Amino acid sequence: MKKFTYLLLLSSILAIVSISELKAQLYGTNTFEFQYGNLPFEEDSDLTTSYNQLNLYYDQGNFSLFGRAEQFLTPVSEANYFEFTQKRFQFQDDTFRLRVGNFYETLGSGLLLRSYEIPGSVYEDEFSRTRYAFFRDLEGVAFDINLDWAEFKAIRSEALQNLLPPNFEPDSVRRPDLIEALQATFYPNDMVSIGGTLIRVNTPNNSDFSSYASIITNIQLPANFQLFGEYAFNTDSELFSFKTDQSYALYSGVNYYKGSFGGSFEYKNYSNFRLGSSGFNDPPSLIKEHTYPVLNRSTHVPNTSSEHGVQAELFYSFDDGHSIVANYAYTVNEVFRRNEYREYFLEGTFKVTDQFTLKSFVDFANDEPKLHKNRISVGLISDKGFGNSKNLILDLQYQTYEESFQPKKIENYFSSISFSLNSSLNFAAIFEATTEPGLTDNPNTFPRIETDPRTWLGFNALYRVNTSNSIALFVGKRRGGPACTSGICYEILDFEGAELRVTTRF
Amino acid sequence: MKYLLLLTLFLGGFESEINEVPNFRLKNLENRTVSYNQIKGKNLTVIDFWATWCKPCVKSIPEFVKMDEEFEDSDVQFIGISIDGPRNKAKVKPFIRSLGVEYPVLRDSDSSVMARLRVTAVPTLLIVNADNEILYFHEGYKSGEEVKIKNKILELLEE
Repeated sequence: MKKFTYLLLLSSILAIVSISELKAQLYGTNTFEFQYGNLPFEEDSDLTTSYNQLNLYYDQGNFSLFGRAEQFLTPVSEANYFEFTQKRFQFQDDTFRLRVGNFYETLGSGLLLRSYEIPGSVYEDEFSRTRYAFFRDLEGVAFDINLDWAEFKAIRSEALQNLLPPNFEPDSVRRPDLIEALQATFYPNDMVSIGGTLIRVNTPNNSDFSSYASIITNIQLPANFQLFGEYAFNTDSELFSFKTDQSYALYSGVNYYKGSFGGSFEYKNYSNFRLGSSGFNDPPSLIKEHTYPVLNRSTHVPNTSSEHGVQAELFYSFDDGHSIVANYAYTVNEVFRRNEYREYFLEGTFKVTDQFTLKSFVDFANDEPKLHKNRISVGLISDKGFGNSKNLILDLQYQTYEESFQPKKIENYFSSISFSLNSSLNFAAIFEATTEPGLTDNPNTFPRIETDPRTWLGFNALYRVNTSNSIALFVGKRRGGPACTSGICYEILDFEGAELRVTTRF
Repeated sequence: MKYLLLLTLFLGGFESEINEVPNFRLKNLENRTVSYNQIKGKNLTVIDFWATWCKPCVKSIPEFVKMDEEFEDSDVQFIGISIDGPRNKAKVKPFIRSLGVEYPVLRDSDSSVMARLRVTAVPTLLIVNADNEILYFHEGYKSGEEVKIKNKILELLEE
């Protein structure tokens, strides 16, 4: 019945396309991924999977329609699915926007509500090993009004619990929280915005609603200073009491720039502030987001039950292309015991010539939540261009730290070499190694414990056929672990085998 | 199901050249919502999707700053779209200004505009004409590619 409804919707779109005189366009993307291989150490050593994601958009005048279908096939029939995972109707003019169906919305800094998508990502569920697109959307209705002096938003929706795959039954468990929100932002002048949010949440097995509110401000100060802050709280809590038994979240910051210099300072204080059973809010972590693999895996995820901290960053860009970035982050949470996280990061980029750049970083951290002490990470990246069509990048990274209960220091190595030609062809070889006991040991050989360093070697090839089609091939072993993209952290599973991805825009 | 895959393969066989940029709305660095139509160029618009944590993006931005100055009199408007989440909210403005960016920078913190424009990676650069048609799509950035992008803008200006 559900599929029939969607087919009817698709037919209606095509019917409108064919009879309408308004300019319209139907376009989309498709991602197909085929894996032959398996998660290392798993007994099922040749699990072959295929995943396909089709996104269709239709725009006509002020109206637009969107639909997403996902399909996953494996030899394990219970894990297979074909689902229409998103659909949306939207009307938008210069001041008004209405969205019905699946959509994204972030209120303020995400203290009360944050939804997101990581385009192109395919997530693999650790338990059922089902693969699906990684997003956390809202399903319902939203409208917003934009005026010169104010903006208003109203939302009634259910947030997705994205750790459950699309074929999880019952489907209602994937969207457990009903969220109703109102937000108003006023612009008394060009320098100031001030607003507030009211949000009401109904969680499963609870007939009562929880209510939260926030105050948000953004002020442009003279001399390129910008000040912003948000204070969110449970409406049953004492306002501005900042007691540990109360439910609140405070996020504030200031930034500044002058010429080639820029800097920012932020402060956070969260207490009992994971909202709903799906955790649909996302208070900022205030730890630098690193893309260097050794640091990306070591990121800190905030504990919104009780955490406060600061982050400061300074950067300077020199006229001749050199740059320097310095970051300091400190955070402390007190869940069961006091846990401190402290990190110092320094990165320099040196442009040797127009065609040759050297980048280096050094990072020192004490990470009590992960039981990592004196964690030192360093890296050197050389980027050499040859004319306008060839490029060679060599990336070397190393990390070491002491871990409680481990007699030896733990080491991580990362190295890669990549070559690109005419921006349409790219080849890369990646080698990684670790002495982390949790990764070197094969759980299938228990009680024997392997301690020899574990290594991963993989090869990537990417061919952009044209602006619409690209083919990517991975062969070898890929190291898993925590990964963060766009501030969203999730777990990637190890993989060993071959993976083919075909991406199409049409 | 099978038909859906067949449809996909059929559609995927084409190289699409023209698609329009819808009149999306995003917040700028001053926290005001602006629409694409309000800030687009009279002749061409160059849209650069980037993020503070993306190394190739950061490398490409100074080149776009130079191009923005060079094409100032040709009605070519550069627009930066940062996909940084709330986690990096504080850094975006001082960072981009310290690189000398004076063109408008918008924030797509949930990547919804990115997805709608069929962008799946950063950096990605789009060149759009006055009728909102996407004329050029470039994914990734390596040293030297700024020459290719600049030549493409010049070529499109001559058409």
